[in-house]
Amino acid sequence: MARVYNWQLGREMSYWYPESRPTKQFAAVFDTNKCIACQTCTLACKTTWTSGKGQEYMLWNNVETKPYGSYPMAWDLKLLDMLEAGSWNGSTYTGQTIFESAKAGERVLSWRPEGEDYAYPNVGEDDCAGAVDAGMSLSMPHMAWFYYLARICNHCTYPACLASCPRGSIYKRPEDGIVLVDQGRCRGYQECVKGCPYKKVFFNPMTGTSEKCIACYPKMEVGLQPQCFVNCIGKIRMAGYISKPEQARPDNPIDYLVHLRKIALPLYPQYGLEPNVYYIPPIHVPPKFLRQMFGPGVDAAIAAYRNAANDPDLAGLLSLFGATESVMTRWVRRGEEVAGVDDHGTTLVRVPMREPVHVRAGFDKVYQIMRSNCP
Amino acid sequence: MRRHLVVLVAVALVAACQRGPETTPDVVAVLASAIPDRPDDPAWNSAPEHVAKLLLQDLVEPRLMSASTPDVRVRAIAGPTEIAFRLEWTDASKDDLPGNGRFVDACAVQVPQKADPNAPDPQMGQAGKGVQIAYWRADWQATVDGRGTAIQDLYPNATVDHYPFEAASLEKGSDAQRQMASRYAPAEGAGNLRGGPRTSPVEDLVAEGPGSLAPAGGSSARGRGVRTASGWSVVIVRPLPDGLTPTSRTQFAVAVWEGTSQEAGARKMRSGWVGLSMRGTS
Repeated sequence: MARVYNWQLGREMSYWYPESRPTKQFAAVFDTNKCIACQTCTLACKTTWTSGKGQEYMLWNNVETKPYGSYPMAWDLKLLDMLEAGSWNGSTYTGQTIFESAKAGERVLSWRPEGEDYAYPNVGEDDCAGAVDAGMSLSMPHMAWFYYLARICNHCTYPACLASCPRGSIYKRPEDGIVLVDQGRCRGYQECVKGCPYKKVFFNPMTGTSEKCIACYPKMEVGLQPQCFVNCIGKIRMAGYISKPEQARPDNPIDYLVHLRKIALPLYPQYGLEPNVYYIPPIHVPPKFLRQMFGPGVDAAIAAYRNAANDPDLAGLLSLFGATESVMTRWVRRGEEVAGVDDHGTTLVRVPMREPVHVRAGFDKVYQIMRSNCP
Repeated sequence: MRRHLVVLVAVALVAACQRGPETTPDVVAVLASAIPDRPDDPAWNSAPEHVAKLLLQDLVEPRLMSASTPDVRVRAIAGPTEIAFRLEWTDASKDDLPGNGRFVDACAVQVPQKADPNAPDPQMGQAGKGVQIAYWRADWQATVDGRGTAIQDLYPNATVDHYPFEAASLEKGSDAQRQMASRYAPAEGAGNLRGGPRTSPVEDLVAEGPGSLAPAGGSSARGRGVRTASGWSVVIVRPLPDGLTPTSRTQFAVAVWEGTSQEAGARKMRSGWVGLSMRGTS
């Protein structure tokens, strides 16, 4: 195995191939605080990409309720149990990744789901951690809680699916870092299904090959965000490209949220894949749970997010989520307005920091009547 | 005296019947005018049997860490242009349904692309010294034998509301309908026929080392596999390997994948090279 640098772990680690970063890296930020689990993203993906024979069970995008929801069943718990506890020393991970803890004969530490594991995509939906007793009041973080975790392929910098394939049928595009299964080369060994810790590669029993989220690359190639992003009712998502930490640009929305303000965090960074979907953690959930899921930056991320109302730049950028179908590779705030911009400097969308508010009087003088539904 | 003679002849006949087939340390193909393409063809009784001991594929990751199929009984019959191999092995379970975490039984025969006293690496060949592989799979056999290609043929309780490419507005079998269906089956659209429907349960492949397996240009292998009381009996027919004549020999290797043990790809039981020769006149 080669030695590569994983900035999310703050250290070098072992990987099957040498470090080879793409020219640009597809990345996304999901704000978990805004997700309502309406599954519109799931359907947008489903109807666009996985309506074929053998794809019936596939959810390249899914939304699960944490802590009890999971698709496929217990995808995270099983591997966490196998990986055992690892520690962080500040922002440096001192435990083992799934590459470093691979068992003899294996390329990564992994497990293989069975068919039954895909049969309950809504397991744990809206199930609350802890009981809510009569007369109970909640304080922050909540003692009883759940939240929604929307998931797609993380288009990892060090994909375990790619490392697991014995015949190189999975590749990471040098131009944008999107990870794809070569449908002409795959022979359906299901090693990638087993190897991906996020279980975002799916075997198609009808075509005999494995398939996965393609980050809607035909859209990304023309500057449009993927289907699950633009159909999101809650406007929780933003797609773009992320730089290496030392090359982070403040005018790149993803860089700003991930590298500079550090409010968006990777999913299970301890696995070692350097995943490129970043989550703003839910503010009401006990940090102890969140630290395991998003790493040691959780407390600072929540603090910064909760202060967004007093932070015009952060609040402004957050208001660009879901504002346009176009990929905003840059952004700028001008006073009370924030704009999404493309690589050519063209303004794609302008959004007011605060929507205009009009307050109508409770009493309608024209009709001499009290208005209903007015404060 | 005459009664004793009858008894002796009877005993000799019983002993002859009970004696197993002739076994050989290498694979010896008997020459015949006709190539059998069914596992139960009586012609196989004329061919000696080689018992190929199988090894774990434990040279490259992912490895098979626990041995499954111990050996394969191999017979071969050669004609002027083709050679047929019959592989038989013990397998308690029939695995011919692909699916999530479900793997199918399969086998393959391998010969060097070019006859060479220094044979390629037995593990899929090596760069510049390739191997030819004929690969049979139980799910392909089931499809060839008539199993349907609907999801319910793999998952009987599956319920599907609708496929876009089967919309009433599309004329069934029209170009537009077929093209749309192909777009929803990306591997098929890329010409990679891993699933059904299939016309042959055997696939011709070439390789120059682990991970390099590729379809051979122009498929010529054919075959047929059936379940036996104890496992599988599979016939694979392919062109005569390079260098195999009544007076010269080449190499042969075999591999078996056992579905219940989740074997696929590199996770397999395989033999080393054994000699492959011919005998007799057609």
